[in-house]
Parts: sequence; structure tokens; C-alpha cells
Amino acid sequence: MFIIDKLAYSSKLRYKNPAVKAAFAVGSLLICVGARSFVISFIILMIMGGLTVLSGRISVLRYIGLLMIPFSFLALSTLAIVFNLSEQPLNLFNIPIGSVYLAVSQNSLREGVLLVVVALASVSCLYFLTLSTTMIDLLALLQRLRCPKLMVELMMLIYRYIFVLLDMASAISTSQKCRLGNKDFMTELRSVGQLLAVLLIRSLKKSSLLYDAMESRCYDGDIRVLNEYRPAEMRDAAGVAGYLAILMVLAVVL
Amino acid sequence: MKSKKQRFLIAATAALTLVFGCVESVSAMHIMEGYLPLNYCVIWGVLCIPFLIIGLNSIKKTIEQNRKALLILVMIGAYAFVLSALKIPSVTGSSSHPTGTGLGAILFGPTAMCVIGVIILLFQAILLAHGGLTTLGANTFSMAIAGPFVAYGIYILCKKLNLSKSAGVFLAAGLSDLFTYSVTAFQLALAHPSEVGGFQASFVEFLGIFAVTQVPLAIIEGLLAVVVMKGLESYARPELTELRYLEGGN
Repeated sequence: MFIIDKLAYSSKLRYKNPAVKAAFAVGSLLICVGARSFVISFIILMIMGGLTVLSGRISVLRYIGLLMIPFSFLALSTLAIVFNLSEQPLNLFNIPIGSVYLAVSQNSLREGVLLVVVALASVSCLYFLTLSTTMIDLLALLQRLRCPKLMVELMMLIYRYIFVLLDMASAISTSQKCRLGNKDFMTELRSVGQLLAVLLIRSLKKSSLLYDAMESRCYDGDIRVLNEYRPAEMRDAAGVAGYLAILMVLAVVL
Repeated sequence: MKSKKQRFLIAATAALTLVFGCVESVSAMHIMEGYLPLNYCVIWGVLCIPFLIIGLNSIKKTIEQNRKALLILVMIGAYAFVLSALKIPSVTGSSSHPTGTGLGAILFGPTAMCVIGVIILLFQAILLAHGGLTTLGANTFSMAIAGPFVAYGIYILCKKLNLSKSAGVFLAAGLSDLFTYSVTAFQLALAHPSEVGGFQASFVEFLGIFAVTQVPLAIIEGLLAVVVMKGLESYARPELTELRYLEGGN
């Protein structure tokens, strides 16, 4: 179901220290969004894309497919930025609608294209992190960054139960389809509604079972698990620091 | 010459509309990674913090009284995430994703929904690539704070006005969806004001463009919420009272 989650577990970079990977990805992300320049975004897109494809056991085509996930948002909102509703015609081209123009200026076109490039480069940073680091590692990292304990605990349990519930939902949905539960729009709406209601009931039942199980194992409001900790290799840390420094200098200079 | 250009443009627009008709309206409400300038990312993030602290404290208090509440919250979180990952039927034939925040707020109360919401948005960014890390603050504000509070407010208002329960649920879920999308449009317009007419013009543009996908979605989500509530009331009264307990803690 979640292709990104699956790929994270098979990445070659999976056993690297998560803090170093996160610093690499989030640092580049911040520089990319902060700098808002064609060159920086392009460099980041190439580096992140290259690293992800090489280390992630994923084909270039598939990677591009992943980059296209937010396509509809990107296309729709960039359209809104590129086109202006204006009473005077602008310098690039104009479509008259009644008394106003749907107009594009060179500036707004440039702005729109820049936004697309920056957004794609940022998504590639996000993908580097999520395609090389498992959720469990990320949560352990959050805990070390002093994220509230309750929050991390909630996240850990929610993550585990997402898959249980998804299995349940897909079983129900399959059996509904077998019985022509999707024969027309109204029927489909009804079956999806029923699915959601039953799913909530069952997940609440599951939570009470879970409570019983945890209570019988002396749960006292605190879940303690051992985390695997992999210390950062000096080489990696130094490499990331150097890379970020260079990127920073480039962003300031350009 | 000009008419040729115009013809080309009209053809291009038609092609684009066709594309949007076919593309799933997945995550059309999540502001994607890197789409907001850094200063807006920070501002929206800071705006969310007080809500999160209040939410966390209220959850802590509830858990102290009843430890089972933690596990109920966990299931609610997982449920809300699955809700957002499932496909629901949509009029255009393609499928779209519900936000589920309206339903969540009615069932579990808006403060708990804030904390759950931010977790879900983080998971959506990491597991599904909907939304992003830098835009987490803005998305949290529109979907996990504004939406749930409006839904809850409308639901309570409808109760006070003695409207039927179904009407209340429909209005709460549908209108909160619309409100969420208006807030998103507002955030986008603030960050990217139009060259001509500035903020106002671009707000109108964003509203207009997202209305295409969001208005039908809001209606469907409203209908769906009614079906879910009906189902819950007929099959799961005890569980619902369990949830009310959670709400009382807030």
C-alpha cells in the first residue's frame, strides 16, 4: 500500500545514522526553500535524485512517477499564479473575457516556473529522507530531539495500527465489491459509508483488546522499548557538513 | 497573429481541463513541499504551537484519569489516517480523498483532533508524499485546527437550533471542508500575491481554481459523514459513549 515505506526498508542507506540523513535532507530543504533560485534548486534536485535512485534500488522512471504525486496541486496552484485577472493587457499574452483579461506577464510566468522547480527540488529532499529512513528510525530521532514523549508514543502506536486497519478496510472493500457494492454512485457512497462506520467500530474494539493485553503486561502509562542506536560515522557527518556549507555559500553568492 | 495565439491558448486550456478531469484530485488541499516561502512556513508553524500545547495537555489530563484513553486516541489516529488514504467515490468518475477532519471533530472534539491532525499530516508527508515538512505548519493550521474547530462549532450550533442530527452532521462536515479549502487558498494567496490586484485578486483566483475539485468533494464528504454517523448510531452506541467520555475530558 505505501510504496515509500516499503522502499525505505530496502534502501542501501537504511543503516546509516538517521540524524545525519535528516540533517542532510532537511538542511538542503531549508536552503532550497530559502534561496528560491533556479541554480540551487537544480543542483539539489540532481544530487538528491541521483543519490535516491542509486541507493534506493528504484528505477529513474519510478522515481519520476513518485515526484509526480503532488502533480495536481502543483499544476492547479501554479496556474493561479501564472494567470492574472487584469483590466489592462499584460506583456506576454492575454485572453479577453468580457471586460477583463486573463493575462500572463513575463514576471508571473517566471515566478510560476521558479515555483515549480523549487517545489520539485524540495520534494526530492523529502524523498531522500523518506526513501532511506524507516519510520521507526525517524521516531527515535524525534524523541532524541526532545519532541514531547506523549506525541512520540502516539505516533509510534498509530504507525503500527495504520497497517492493521488498512488490511481490515481492504478486506471489507473487497467483499463489498464481490457483492456489487459499487454498481452505481449512490450504492458506492453507501458502501463506503458503511465501511467507514464498521472500520471505526472494529478499531475501537481492537483498542480495547490492546488495552487488556497491555494492562496484563503491567502497562503504567509509559511504553518503554529498546531503540537500536547507530552512531554516526565521522566521514558521513563531515561530508554532510561540508556539502551543506558549500550549498550555503552558493546560495548566498548566487 | 493574435487570433492564432488565442486559438493555441484555448486549445491549451482545454487540454489542461481534460488533464485535471482525469487526474485524481489527490491531496489537492495539502500545500506541497517547498511551495511556501520560508517566512510563511515559520509563521504558520508558530501559530499552531499554542493549539498543540493545549491539545497535548488536555490529552495528558484525560490519560491520567483513564489510561485507556491513550489507546482510543491511537485508534482514532490510525483510523483518521486510513480515512485519508482510502478512495471515496466522486462524481467525476475519478476518486478523491476525504479529509475526515469534520467527522473526527464531531466524534472526538476539536482539541484532540489538533494533536491527532498534526501526526496524521506528518505521516501523510512521509508515507504518501501529500504535503511536506516545511509546509507542515500551514497545513496543520488549515486542516487540523481551522477545519475541526469550524466543524465542531457548526455541529453544536445546529444542535442548539434543533436541526435534525443528520443535517447538523452534513453541514458540519461539508462546511468545514469548504472552510479548510478557503484557509488553504488564503495561505497561498498571502504567500503568492498576484501581480495585478495583489492579495485579493490572487485569493479569488485560488478560491476559484480549487472550487472545481473541492466543492463536489465537500458535498460528498458531508453525505459520507451522515452515513457513517447513522451506521455508528445503529451499531455502536456503547463505543460512542466511550468517545463522549474522551470529549468530556477536553
